[in-house]
Amino acid sequence: MDAAAEQKYNFDVVRWFAVMSVVYLVVGALVGVYIASELAWPVLNFDSPYITFGRLRPLHTNAVIFAFGGCVLMATAFYSVQRTCGVRLWSDKLAWFTFWGWNAIIVGAVITLPLGLTGGKEYAELEWPLDILIAVVWLSYFFNFIMTISIRKTSHIYVSNWFFLGMMVMITYLHVVNSLAIPVSLFDSYSIFSGVQDAMIQWWWGHNAVGFYLTAGFLGIMYYFVPKQAGRPVYSYRLSVIHFWALMFGYVWLGAHHLQYTALPDWTGSLGAAVSLAMIIPSWGGAVNGMMTLSGAWDRLRDDYILRFLIMSLAFYAMSTFEGPVMSLKTVNALSHYTDWTVGHVHSGALGWVAMVGMGAIYHLIEKTYHVRMASQALLNAHFWTATIGAVVYIVAMWVSGIMQGLMWRAYDDYGTLAYTFAESVEAMHPYYAMRAVGGMIFLLGAVLMLVNVIMTVRKSVSEGNLQQARTAVAGA
Amino acid sequence: MNSFIDYFHTDWEAMTTSDWVGTILTVVIFLLMVGLYVIVLRPKSRDKLEQQKYIPMDDDKIESGEKNGG
Repeated sequence: MDAAAEQKYNFDVVRWFAVMSVVYLVVGALVGVYIASELAWPVLNFDSPYITFGRLRPLHTNAVIFAFGGCVLMATAFYSVQRTCGVRLWSDKLAWFTFWGWNAIIVGAVITLPLGLTGGKEYAELEWPLDILIAVVWLSYFFNFIMTISIRKTSHIYVSNWFFLGMMVMITYLHVVNSLAIPVSLFDSYSIFSGVQDAMIQWWWGHNAVGFYLTAGFLGIMYYFVPKQAGRPVYSYRLSVIHFWALMFGYVWLGAHHLQYTALPDWTGSLGAAVSLAMIIPSWGGAVNGMMTLSGAWDRLRDDYILRFLIMSLAFYAMSTFEGPVMSLKTVNALSHYTDWTVGHVHSGALGWVAMVGMGAIYHLIEKTYHVRMASQALLNAHFWTATIGAVVYIVAMWVSGIMQGLMWRAYDDYGTLAYTFAESVEAMHPYYAMRAVGGMIFLLGAVLMLVNVIMTVRKSVSEGNLQQARTAVAGA
Repeated sequence: MNSFIDYFHTDWEAMTTSDWVGTILTVVIFLLMVGLYVIVLRPKSRDKLEQQKYIPMDDDKIESGEKNGG
């Protein structure tokens, strides 16, 4: 039990963010499974506009990216910045403002999205009042983090904090620029951009939400939690510095690769693809750096189930950062774009990388901040396997479905007539849509096991008095 | 497009002020990044940078003031 750390640092806000992240993981995955099932079995729409795919899909993406992902990022950043800087958070009140503000936004999303109130931008669907609230709450998170660094006891700022800071700076201006809109009523607004500029801004935001929020932020998690869980320093600190600057320089160029063969100038897509390919080098360098941290201690994976999550996430990170650049090439993009291959790629990153590293870090945090081991190692192990198998089933289904779709859409006969109607391609996709829903269900089962295990662990900590003892014990005892 | 050279053809006369500002900023930032790689990867920087990787391992020492994180 680390009574000194419990009394010195603000772990309360970390605990709340950590527990809420698990709740949102279950909710987000549940909505995802439901809409995947709607695509396989449309009867599940029940003729209700509130639960159609079009309205629940943004609820799913917002729940998993911003509710689950956001709470994970806030819990881990607030925890690791205190530990690596040797000081308590600069402001407890501001940290609680961030917690309640972020959760209020999530409630706002849960109410408005099923009602069909959206700005129409992908991964930025919320209407303008919520967009303003996001900017304010995000800045409170950013300001508290940077002020905590400014009062640190160490001379050097550890690299995980660089990644978190990079994310905070970039997401601030990406969110503000992408959300610029003219309000016409409380729940309706129009983007100030139009036509091709609107498309460019949309994907400048869209890809950088992936690049900075879901990659840089979660790499910040990787660079702190992999070494801590493994009990060994990161393999190469110099490689982590190169990884950071290459990511910061490179990612902002990639957005245009989402718009190949559109009204955008041809060179923008080529530039996006060229830089995407170049990004394989730092991405793989980072993945290898994380994995090689276990060099000489691979046996730890045999019985440390939390470490398994973290290392498996790096394998998916390497895989999806290779797949993405390949898909950005015009030749491949001609086949893959608008197909389920893209959906499979996104979920290999989201389920395999983001969720796995996030869940591993949350397990680590629960043990450290509740001063107790996870209540059930068997459930932990079961979660690892359900998450891995569920992700693989999902991704494989979408790969097969996507490539088949692309091939069917562009097949033509000797007379130049399309060989298949669109409806025929939809019919052919049905088995894979059912398989995708099953993959999602397996992943969701793992998330439920995690929630049960976390609840059991919190109850165990309370019933055994571990948390209370850590709060009241004489520091250092 | 007839050749590789044609692909990189640029109409310099058509470059606007914004084009030039963007181009120059991009090239300067790229060169700064290359310079940073040289600094980070040169053998002299190795020990100084590599000792920072122990910060997460030493957090108990940082808390007690025993170590200044490198």
